[in-house]
Amino acid sequence: MAAHSVLKYVRPRSIVPQLCRCTSTLSAFEIQHKTPTIKKVMPIPKAHYGGRHTVTLLPGAGIGPELMGYVKEVFRYAGVPVDFEDIDIDPNADNNDDLDYAITSIRRNGVALKGNIETRSTEAGVLSRNVALRNQLDLYVNVLHCVSYAGVKSRQKNIDIVIVRQNTEGEYAMLEHESVDGVVESMKVITRSNSERVARYAFEYAKRHGRKKVTTVHKANIMKLSDGLFLETSRAVAKDYPDIQHNDMIIDNTCMQLVSNPHQFDVVLTTNLYGSIVSNVICGLLGGAGLLSGKNYGNHYTIFEPGTRNTGTGIAGKNIANPIAMLNAAVDMLRHLGHKKHAVLLQDAINKTINKGVHTRDLGGQATSREVVDSILKYIKIAYN
Amino acid sequence: MAAQWIRKAISPKLGRVRLYSSKVHKCTLIPGDGIGPEISAAVQKIFDAAKVPIEWDTVDVTPVRGPDGKFGIPQAAIDSVNRNKIGLKGPLMTPVGKGHRSLNLALRKEFNLYANVRPCRSLEGYKTLYDNVDVVTIRENTEGEYSGIEHEIVDGVVQSIKLITEDASRRVADFAFQYAQDNNRKKVTAVHKANIMRMSDGLFLRCCREAAGKFPSVKFEEKYLDTVCLNMVQDPSQYDVLVMPNLYGDILSDMCAGLVGGLGLTPSGNIGLNGALFESVHGTAPDIAGQDKANPTALLLSAVMMLKHMGLNEQGRIIEHAAYDTIKEAKYLTGDLGGTAKCSEYTDEICKRVASQIK
Amino acid sequence: MALLVRNVCKVLSQATQKGAGVRTLHIGAVRHQDNFIEQQGKVKCTLIPGDGVGPELVLSVQNVFKAVNVPVEFEPYFLSEVNPTLSAPLEQVANSIALNQVCLKGILATPDHSHTGELQTLNMKLRRNLDLYSNVVHVKSLPGVKSRHQNVDCVIIREQTEGEYSALEHECVPGVVECLKIVTAVKSQRIAKFAFDYAVKNNRKKVTCVHKANIMKLGDGLFLQSCQEIAELYPKIQFETMIVDNCTMQMVSNPHQFDVMVMPNLYGNIVDNLASGLVGGAGVVAGASYSAECVVFEPGARHTYSEAVGKNVANPTAMLLCSVKLLNHVNLGRYAEQIRDALNRVLNDGKVRTKDLGGQSSTTEFTTAVINSLR
Repeated sequence: MAAHSVLKYVRPRSIVPQLCRCTSTLSAFEIQHKTPTIKKVMPIPKAHYGGRHTVTLLPGAGIGPELMGYVKEVFRYAGVPVDFEDIDIDPNADNNDDLDYAITSIRRNGVALKGNIETRSTEAGVLSRNVALRNQLDLYVNVLHCVSYAGVKSRQKNIDIVIVRQNTEGEYAMLEHESVDGVVESMKVITRSNSERVARYAFEYAKRHGRKKVTTVHKANIMKLSDGLFLETSRAVAKDYPDIQHNDMIIDNTCMQLVSNPHQFDVVLTTNLYGSIVSNVICGLLGGAGLLSGKNYGNHYTIFEPGTRNTGTGIAGKNIANPIAMLNAAVDMLRHLGHKKHAVLLQDAINKTINKGVHTRDLGGQATSREVVDSILKYIKIAYN
Repeated sequence: MAAQWIRKAISPKLGRVRLYSSKVHKCTLIPGDGIGPEISAAVQKIFDAAKVPIEWDTVDVTPVRGPDGKFGIPQAAIDSVNRNKIGLKGPLMTPVGKGHRSLNLALRKEFNLYANVRPCRSLEGYKTLYDNVDVVTIRENTEGEYSGIEHEIVDGVVQSIKLITEDASRRVADFAFQYAQDNNRKKVTAVHKANIMRMSDGLFLRCCREAAGKFPSVKFEEKYLDTVCLNMVQDPSQYDVLVMPNLYGDILSDMCAGLVGGLGLTPSGNIGLNGALFESVHGTAPDIAGQDKANPTALLLSAVMMLKHMGLNEQGRIIEHAAYDTIKEAKYLTGDLGGTAKCSEYTDEICKRVASQIK
Repeated sequence: MALLVRNVCKVLSQATQKGAGVRTLHIGAVRHQDNFIEQQGKVKCTLIPGDGVGPELVLSVQNVFKAVNVPVEFEPYFLSEVNPTLSAPLEQVANSIALNQVCLKGILATPDHSHTGELQTLNMKLRRNLDLYSNVVHVKSLPGVKSRHQNVDCVIIREQTEGEYSALEHECVPGVVECLKIVTAVKSQRIAKFAFDYAVKNNRKKVTCVHKANIMKLGDGLFLQSCQEIAELYPKIQFETMIVDNCTMQMVSNPHQFDVMVMPNLYGNIVDNLASGLVGGAGVVAGASYSAECVVFEPGARHTYSEAVGKNVANPTAMLLCSVKLLNHVNLGRYAEQIRDALNRVLNDGKVRTKDLGGQSSTTEFTTAVINSLR
C-alpha cells in the first residue's frame, strides 16, 4: 500500500536526472568519452517559475548591447513574462572564466538570447567564444528560417528556405597547427553520429512543417571522405522518410543556384562552414544581415541569436543598427518557451513595421533604430486596444 | 525506618542535610571530549564545596571495537550507569564517517532514555534580546522521525519513516505532567502538527489529552508547531512546559536555548527507564580545550537538575543560586558571556558563594 | 586526440577558474516607459478568501485596489475544508488558477480530524493539484514595526509537495502509527534550483540549505546532496549548510547571517513561522507558492486567526504585501510601488496600528489610512 502510494512520486521520471547520479561517480571527462551514450550535459530543471521564465542574456559585442536594450524595452512594454540574467563576456580577457560562467548560466536556465561575442585575445588557450558555447552546450544544429518580407526591396521575392546546419564540428573544430614553419594544417572533423543527428533533425523538421524537399549541400567530389560521410549519412537517413524528396548539390553550384533561382530550395542540410556561406548568401538576397534570426538547438539547451553572426562594430552606438533580427530572435525564443500569445503579438508588430516601410539604412530606409522600435511599440499598443 | 524517626526528632532544616549526607549516592561521570574534562572538574569542585553526598564514578567512553566489529561504548561504562542508575555527561565528539554510531545515540538506546528535558531560563546579568524566558521543553527521545528507518525505494526516491507508538507517547506525556506538578509548573502545552499528520501526531496528541485528564491541577493546551514557533519568538512568556515528539523537540529546544543565549547556558536531562543521564548539549569546543576558558554553566546546571532528580533539592538550590548570582554580578564571566574570567576563577567564585551558604 | 586533450584542459580550467569576472549592466538606448498596461485588458486573478479573518483581509485589499484603480479583475471562489457544504469544488478552483496563472489566497483552516478519514488536507490537495512545489516567504523587517531584531532580511524557500507532508500514514498495529517521509532527488533538485535561481534573480549572495542529514542520513541526505549538486552550477553564489536545530537557534540569536534559505517541507514550516515572529508576527509577512506555471500569493505564516473573526482587529499588512507582490508579478509594477509606499508611510507614521503591533486601530481604519496616504 505504502509502496504503491509512493509510486506516484516517481511520475516525473522522464526527467529524472539519472546523470546527476552518475556525475558523482564519473568525472565529466569519463562521461563524455567513456560512456558516449550519455552526453556531457546533464539535464537540470528549467528556470520556469510561476509562469515566468529566466533567460540568459549574452549581449556580446558591437551593436549587441544596444539591440538587447531594445528587446528588454519591448518585452517590458508588452508585459512579456520573461526575466533576463545578463552576462557580459570580456572580449579582452585571456582566460575563459566569463565564458565558463556564461555556459553554466545557460545550463541553469536552458535558454539564452545572444548577440555575437567577440574574441579579441590571441592566447592559444582562448577559444572563439561563439564556437565554444555551441560545442560545450552541444548545440549540434543551427536552424535559419529565411523568409522574404513583402515590404523589403530585394532582388528575389517570396523566398522561403530553411537552412539546417551542423553546428559543432566540421571546419570549426578549431584544430589547427603549424607543422613546419610556414605550413599550417587545419583539420576538418566529420563524425557519423553528429551527421546523423543533424540529418535526422532536418528530415524531422521537414516532416513536421510540411516541407517537401531536403537538399544536402556538400563538396564530396573533392573531400570524398569527410563530406562523403556527411552525404552518405544524409542519404541513409533520407530512406526513413520516403515522403520527403531528397537531393544533393555541391556547394559552389548551390551558391550559383541560390542567386539565380532560389525557389528550387526548400530545406537545406549542410555542414558547418557551408552553412555559414549559404545562410549569408540568402540573407543578402532577402535584404541584409539585419532581418533574420537563427536558432541553435541541442538536446537540452537552446540559444537564439541574429541569423547572420556579425558584430556590426562599425555601426555600434550610432543609432542606425537594425533591431529587427534580434527582436525576431526574441520572438523565436518566446515561441520556444510557449508564450504564444506574446510571440504572435510581437511578430505582428514587427511585420507591420517592416511592411509599412519603417526601415533602417541597411534596408534602404531613413529611420533610426529608435524609430523602428517606437513603431513596434506603437503597433503593440494598437494590438492591445 | 529508624531514619524517619530521627528526622522527626531533629530540627527539619539541618536534619535534611544531615540525613542525605548520611547516605552517599554513587553517580557515573562521563567527562567527555574537548573542554569536557575541565568543566567536569569544575562541577566536581563545586559539588565538593557544597558537600553534596555524591561519590563520582568516572568512566571513559572512548569507543572500542565491539565483538560485532562496530565501534561502540565500552561495556564498563554501560555497567557503571546501569549500576548507579544516574549519570552526568560532558560533551562528546562523534567521529565523522560511517561505521561509527553516534555515541549520544548509543547511550540513549542503551539506557532507554525516553524523555529529554531542557529548562531554558533567562539569566539575569547576561543580556539577550529576550529576558522573560522560562520554558521547559520535554521531548520524546526514542522514536518519531529519528527512528532511523530509511530506505531508497527506487533510485532517487527515499522514504523515511516516522514512527509514533502509543506506549512511548503516553510515557512521555505522563512524564511531562508529572514534571510540571513536581516543579510547580502551571501549564503543559502539547506541540504537534496533527492538522497535517493526522494519524501519527494525532496519536501523540490523544495520549497527551489522556495524560492531562490524570493531572487536573495542571493546565493543558494544544498548539500547532508553527504557531508555537511564531509566538515563542514574539512572546516566550506565554509558554511553560512544552511536550512534543522527537524532531519538533530537537528544533524547539535549540531554539529556546538560542533565546536565552545559546547552548552554553542550558542544561539538559534525559529520563529513562533504566536510569537518567544529565548532560551539557553544547559542542566539545576543541579550539579552547585545555586553556581554562570554557564555561561550565551548562554542565553545572545539568548537575543541579540531577540533584533535584535525586531529591537533593537543598544542595541543588544552593548551587543553582550561587551560579545565578555569580552571573548576575557579572564580575567573573567567561569569554562566551562577554567577560574575561577564566573557568577556574568562575568556579572559585561559585564555590565561595556555596560555602558561605552551607556553613 | 588533440580534441581529447583540449577537452581535458577545458574541464580542468572549468574546475579551477570559477568565480571572478566583471558583470556590468547594459542599458543601451532604453527609454523608460511604464504606462503601457493601461491599454491592456484587465488582468484576471483568482481570489480565495480562505477561513478565519481571510475575507476581511481580502476586502481590505479589494478596497485599496479600488482606490488605486488597479486593472485587476478578481474571480472569487470560496474554498474551505471546515465548511465543506459551502466550498466550491477543488477542480473548479484549480482550473481557474491554472487559467489565470495568478491567485491571491487567504489561509485555509485545517481541522485536526478529517470527517471522511482522508489524510490529505485541502491545502495539500490544492498544492498537489497545481504542483505548487515551492513556497517563498520573504521575511523583512518593516519600517515602524517594533520587534526585537532590526533589519532582518531573509528569504525562506520551502519544498511543499513531499517530505513529511506526504499524507502517507497508517497504523501497523494498534497504538503504533507510521508516517512516511518521502524525499526524491527530482523534487529536491527542483527546489534547490529554484532557490539558486531566486538568489541570482534578486541579487542575493548566499544560499543556506537547512537539513537534518546527521540523523536522517538517507532522506535528508538526499536533499542535501541534491542541493550540493545544484550549488556547483552557481559559482558566484555562496552555499552553506546548516542543521535545522542549530538553524533555529541561530535564527533567534543572529538572524542577519541568513540570506536565502532552502529546506524540506516541515523545517520550512517551522522556520517560516519562527522568522515571521522575529519581524512582527503573522500579520506582516507575505509569501507565495510557485509552480512552473502559476503563482499563489498568500500570507507567509499560515494562521487563520479564527478567534478574531468579525472583530475587525486583524492586520491586513501581510495580505496587502501579497497583493503588492502579485502586482509586481503581473507587470503592474507602478501600482505595486504606489501601494507599497502608502503602506510604508502608514507603518512609519505609527499612528494607525492594529492590535498585533501594539495599536488600537481596527482593520478598516488601517485600510482607510493606507488609502488616504496613497499618492
